[in-house]
Parts: sequence; structure tokens; C-alpha cells
Amino acid sequence: MSRREAIAALALLVALVLVPFVFSGSIYVLDLGVLTFLFVSQAQAWNILGGFAGQVSFGYAAFFGIGAYATGALWLRGWEPLLTLPVGALAAAIFSLLIGLPAFRLTGPYFAIGTLGVGLAMRVVALNTEAITGGASGLTLPTTIPPKLWFYYAMLVLVVACFVISAAVRRSRLGMALTALRLDQAAAESSGVHVALYKNVAHTLGAVLVAVGGGIYAVYFQYIHPDQVFGFEISIGMVLMPIIGGVGTLWGPLLGGTLYYALQDTLLTVFPFAHLLVYGLLLMIIMLIEPRGLVGMLQLLGRGRKRRPAQQTQPAAATP
Amino acid sequence: MHYSLADLTGVLVGAILTAGLYAVMSYGLALIYGVMKLVNLSHAGTMMFGAFITLTLNRAFHLDPILGSLVVLPLFFGFGVALYAFVVRRIARSDPIVSLLLLFGLWLVLQNIAYLIWGTQDQSIVTAYTYSTIKIGFLSISVTRLVVFGGGLVALAALAWFMSRTYTGRAIRAVSLNYQASRLAGIDVERISAIAFGLGTGLAAFGGSLLTLLFSFTPDFGGLFQAKAFCVIVLGGLSSFVGVAFGSLILSLAESFGVLYMRASLQNLIAFALLFIALVFMPGGLMGLLQSRRSR
Repeated sequence: MSRREAIAALALLVALVLVPFVFSGSIYVLDLGVLTFLFVSQAQAWNILGGFAGQVSFGYAAFFGIGAYATGALWLRGWEPLLTLPVGALAAAIFSLLIGLPAFRLTGPYFAIGTLGVGLAMRVVALNTEAITGGASGLTLPTTIPPKLWFYYAMLVLVVACFVISAAVRRSRLGMALTALRLDQAAAESSGVHVALYKNVAHTLGAVLVAVGGGIYAVYFQYIHPDQVFGFEISIGMVLMPIIGGVGTLWGPLLGGTLYYALQDTLLTVFPFAHLLVYGLLLMIIMLIEPRGLVGMLQLLGRGRKRRPAQQTQPAAATP
Repeated sequence: MHYSLADLTGVLVGAILTAGLYAVMSYGLALIYGVMKLVNLSHAGTMMFGAFITLTLNRAFHLDPILGSLVVLPLFFGFGVALYAFVVRRIARSDPIVSLLLLFGLWLVLQNIAYLIWGTQDQSIVTAYTYSTIKIGFLSISVTRLVVFGGGLVALAALAWFMSRTYTGRAIRAVSLNYQASRLAGIDVERISAIAFGLGTGLAAFGGSLLTLLFSFTPDFGGLFQAKAFCVIVLGGLSSFVGVAFGSLILSLAESFGVLYMRASLQNLIAFALLFIALVFMPGGLMGLLQSRRSR
């Protein structure tokens, strides 16, 4: 992350901290904030494995559901909700290893299809383990929850954590290893990168962050259902947001996640999944034209604008 | 739990009938994977669209779903060829994950266009023979399942003939065996790829069309069957014709007999778990597993 990026990130953070005061605690704005932050955190978490390492997973809803249900089930058994978050994170970490250890024998599209199977299977399992998940009737949770402002800042902290972790991963040995194995797995392996280890670390890191988001989500909505938290839509969203925004970048998931929820919220009245139509089209266009997503397109635009005056000045400088 | 021999025979017959259906809906996927090594995630969208076109034909012209499927097949063959020419061709040779995501995008688009047109409610087609059954000895089999099985068999037989007796069919098989060598031998691989993509798309829609006889459906309905189709072709070794039939039978037997010993609502778990296990532990599918045994 360059100094300019760091300053921009800090400025954005300060603005987001001040938003509730500017809008004097408007419920709508807080709600918008909570959900946007949730989506952005998911996009960033997915991006660690999907973007940095280039391993597309369609199974991340499993971790969201595990986080949500760990919190829900323990809360109903008298735990303090905040204390359940580490438990959910741990459960997700263990599950991510259980899946990752065999699944990372697969590469590219095969890994994607394998995780698709896992993601779909988890929903069926959750629907059939009534003792923990409440099965098809879901779990109704206690109503004694903190005010919306608390959730706004809790989710903001999660987003900041995701952002800082992503930035740190990119600079670290782990980040370099992930980039290497994304570009050429065989070459990375033969130059001594422990591919399976790094993939599992990235997978687990993403899983933990998604699970914490799932836990806060459960407290916020006070009701969770397998179709919702283990739903395929959650996995789809986590694939779409970072890729549309700019896969493997730091800002792409931020942009993709923000737009995703904004679009979902605006188009909800048209029909429930209208935003997926737009995002599906965007995904096709991005795959055909600019695989680096919206961030890549913006960069191209920016460069185009800079180049034009540069072309004008060059001959002027050469003439005298 | 104890089941009589008659019960088990009934389950076996049911499993074979279901296998026919699975084979039809999986073959398109295997064909496209074989020729282009593309994982077609839009398969679900095409199946669903095939089903809804059949529904529309049924509502508008009282066209029987079986006849509807015969309309849908060429229609979607054309759609597939056009899709290949305008979109898929551009990314067919790039990183496999690019094509996977592009076709995934197409699935989302198809699914949500269907939501836009047909709404979110459950749809179904009821024909004169929907609820009738045929008694064979102690077995009673529903007519729709027999019809779907028959339709599937005819389609697969026609395909088998096409693949072994026509130039185009042989060229498709050649390209799936070795792309470069086929090119060197003078096969127009672009044309063959377009035809294979069209056939795969047409067959997916045809399968979706037949499914309307058995199940009610929403624009979301392809996802489950797509996962099952993946399971079938992974079990069958991804691209071979015999493999698809074999994989269909294994999946359908596992589901039919598995459900005797577990809750019915867990039935779909079998396909998802098998998909994962087969992918990870049986590269080359069950056939590959058998072959490696033999060669050892």
C-alpha cells in the first residue's frame, strides 16, 4: 500500500466514523452502513484466497453459516454474544481446514466445482441438524441487543480488520507465496513454495473473517435460517463482489461490496434478485474485457486522461 | 430396517429410470467439457430456460412437454452456437477460471431474466397422463417416469449413432481426444467447437424440458440438477459417453438406496458429497479407478 493509498484509507475511515453524527443517528443510514460493511468484509475476506491466490471458491457461505449458528446456538444457551464470536471463528477455522486439506489437491475449475458441492451440502446438513440449527424453522434469538449504533461500529471494526489484514498479507511472505502460486503453481512449487500450506492459511484466514461477520449478523437480525445464512446467494455474492470490484486488489472488494449492496437495496423493488442480473452481466463483461474489474477499468480511464495532456506537451517541449 | 425383495426391486427399477434422466441432463456438460475443456456453469440456466420454454409452449398451444422438448432442442442448439460464436469463442483458450466465471455470469443472467419473465412462484405442467401408473407384475411405475426414461434413451441412442456414424460426430470425438492433433489432421476445430457447444446447450435444455414432466420448478431449479450433473460426469470420468451412463447409474443407485437408510430430506446430500469425494479422490472417475486397477 502506497502512502497515498494509506492516506485515502484513513480519510475514508474518519469519514465513516463521523457518518452517524452527520446524519444524527438516522436508522436508515445506520442500517445501510451495517449491511454495506458486512458485504465489504465478506468481499475482502474472500479476496485473500480468491484474489491473492486465485483460487475461486463457491463454498464460503459455509463459514458465514457456521459463524452465525455458533453465535446463535451458544447465545440461546446463555453465552454473552460477543464471547461467541471467537468460538464461531474457531469452528470456521477447523471446518476450513477439514475442507481445504483434501480440496486443495484440486486446482482451478476443479477446486471451484468441489467447493460448490461443499457449499450446497452444508445447507442440507444445517436443515437436518435441528438440535443446533433449529432446522427448517430456523433459530429465533433473544431480543436484548445493543442499539444500531453499536452494530455500525462493530461492522466497521470488522471491515478495518479485513482491510488491514489484507494489506499486511499482501506485503508479507504469505502474500508473495500466494502471488507466486497464482501466477504459476508448478513454478512456485519447484522453487520451494509450500503451495498446500499457503493455500490453507489463506482459506482459513478468509473463513475466520467471514465467520465473525456471520456472528455479528446473527445478533443484529436475531433470527437465522439455514436457507439464509448457508444459502447459495451468500456464496455467489462473495464471488461476485471482489471480482466485479477488482480481484486481487485492496480497493476492489471495497468498491464491489459497496456497489453490490447499494444495487441490491435499490433494485429490491423490481424483483428480489434483480441485482444479480446486473452483476451477472457485469461479470460476463469483465471476463471478456477487463479481468481486473472496476478498479482496472478506472485505472485505464485515469491513465487515458493523463496520457492525453502528456501527448500534447511532448511535441511542444521538443520544438524549441 | 428391513425391506422385502419386492420393495428393493421397486427401488432398483426406480433408480434405473432416474439414471436415464441423469444421463440426458449430464451428457451436454460432458460433451462441452470434452471438446473445449470448459466447465459450463451456465448448464443450470439452460436447463431451467428449456423447462420454462416448454411451459410457455404448453400454456400457449397446449403442446405436450414431450413435443415441446423436440422444439426446445433445436432452438437451444441455435442459441448455443450463437453463444459460442459471439461470446465463448473469445475466452475458450484463456485461463479455465475465466471461462468458468463468464459462464457462471451467464447462469445468473439467464436465471434472473427468467425471474423477470415468469416470476418466483412454483410452476408445473400437468398432462393427461401425469398421475397415471402402469402395473408390471407387483411393480407400479408412473407413466411420466417411463416417458422421460424413454425420451432420454432415444436421445442418447441418436447421439451414439451421431457420434460414431457421422463425420461431425467423429470429429467431435477426435477433438475431445486431442485438440492439436485434430487441427493438424485438418478438422475445422472452430466449427466443431461451435457444434459441440450448441449440442451441449441443446441437450441441457432438452433435459430441462423432460424434467417438467416430473418436477415443479422455479427459475432457481437448475442449480440442484447442475450439481448432480457435475457429480455424474466426475464419477464417469468427465468426458466419455459410457462414463456418463455409468456415473448416472452410480449416482441414482446411491441416492435411491441411500435414502432407505437415511432421512429423505438428506437425499441431495448424497450427490453433493459424492461430487466432492469423487473430484478429490478419484481423478479420472470410477472408470479411471477400474482401469488403473487393471493396469497394475
